[in-house]
Amino acid sequence: MSEVPPLAIVRCDHCQARFLPHPGLCPRCGSDELVRTEIPAHATVLAATELLAPAAGWPSPHRLAILEATESVRILAIVRGPLPTLGSVVAVRRTNDLYEVVLPSPG
Amino acid sequence: MRVAVTAAGVGRFGKRSETLIDLLCEAGREALDGIGRKPVDLLVVAHMAGGTFAGVENTAAKVADQLGLDTSAGFRVEAASASGAAAFHAAVPLVAAGGYDRALVIAGEKMTDLPSAEVARVLARSLAPMEIAHGATMPGLAALVASRYLTRYGVGEDALDAVTVAARAAAARNPNAQFPTAVTSAQVRESRPIALPLRLLHCSAVSDGAAALVLERTAGPAGVLGLGQATDHIELVERPDLTSFRATQVAAKRAYEAARQTRKEVDFAELHDAFAPFALLDLEDIGITGPGEGAAWFLNGSTASDGRFPVNPSGGILGRGHPVGASGLVQIAEVARQLRGESGPMAIARRPKRGLAQSIGGLGSHNFVTLLGDTGGGGR
Ligand SMILES: [Zn+2]
Repeated sequence: MSEVPPLAIVRCDHCQARFLPHPGLCPRCGSDELVRTEIPAHATVLAATELLAPAAGWPSPHRLAILEATESVRILAIVRGPLPTLGSVVAVRRTNDLYEVVLPSPG
Repeated sequence: MRVAVTAAGVGRFGKRSETLIDLLCEAGREALDGIGRKPVDLLVVAHMAGGTFAGVENTAAKVADQLGLDTSAGFRVEAASASGAAAFHAAVPLVAAGGYDRALVIAGEKMTDLPSAEVARVLARSLAPMEIAHGATMPGLAALVASRYLTRYGVGEDALDAVTVAARAAAARNPNAQFPTAVTSAQVRESRPIALPLRLLHCSAVSDGAAALVLERTAGPAGVLGLGQATDHIELVERPDLTSFRATQVAAKRAYEAARQTRKEVDFAELHDAFAPFALLDLEDIGITGPGEGAAWFLNGSTASDGRFPVNPSGGILGRGHPVGASGLVQIAEVARQLRGESGPMAIARRPKRGLAQSIGGLGSHNFVTLLGDTGGGGR
């Protein structure tokens, strides 16, 4: 498993919801008691797709996955390689405000 | 709530040469003809993005003028791909409260003027900025929902194919449908991949079209029994469950409660199948089947016109075409026509007493459920 830095998330002190950094108030309860914290950057692949009619500016195929990290935080992430197996655990990294699945280093 | 749909008008869906205003007025005129052109004092118009798709704004006043509704009241309503349902939900309480005697509700969209890549970009504006930044599209997110659903419940892709096959078979009986030809599951499976597991024939098409109906404070075979709507988190990943649309579940609960009815009293439904997997979720979200069971209902014919619970006898969004702003209202119009015995070749096998329309705005972020049924009075 690749070594990756932890992911920044936000915890709502009012309803305990956890989610990725997000504009505005807690999406679950509307509270502003939001605290930044971190979780390990490893997550289970819940769903994956290969877009063969991607949005303008993206290569075809463009691959996306939904991952579930600890504390039920879900992440939409770009996959710049073969689609990972559903149910497998992958590393995820945030670069320039985009989440990406970290591909295993060759060899 | 003694308000009923007393007339409906539905234009032809597909590529149309007319303007958005003309399409709205065509459907509006048909609905007004249905009540013998009695005066209307409220006009509610809906489209999702007429300004961008068709270069037109101030649509309520323009439609009122073209239909000769001199100095009626009115406004435009927007809720993404559920805009047509939102217009209906806005108009009903205004008529019920006695503020207006008779409302004309019209919804439409004119999408085919723009290149399809541009249409896709406009539709994606309903999504979260974070999703757009990651290159997500409507079909891409629908495919992720499908991926999770199929895996979680051990359902095969043939269930998605069955939804399309059923929709297209029904659309062949709808004179206004964009796709009036049946397809086989092999044709669905061989169609071009869009966002796997979704293929072209699992996805609704860009379309032009409009629908209209008249609401009056009266009883009738298509009375308004209950309305429900709900929003949900814009980002798909923030929702508690990927294999259902909570906004539909909550909207349905609210509509059933308002109607003092349960799902068991509903005879059929028009469901929002902009993507084939949505039909499976929809059937579960309105409570007709349990989680993961929707697929079996489509595979074994339970949702056919002569099945246990007919779904989308008009061909649904997959067969009818998806002029986004129109879809939520044409569903309600088709439910009303079934209840009023006006569906012609689309009529379901047993004359229904109660029907449900379910509309999805965005990627399930603002959904509407409408229950219509016989409220007595006999008035046709
Ligand atoms: Zn909270």
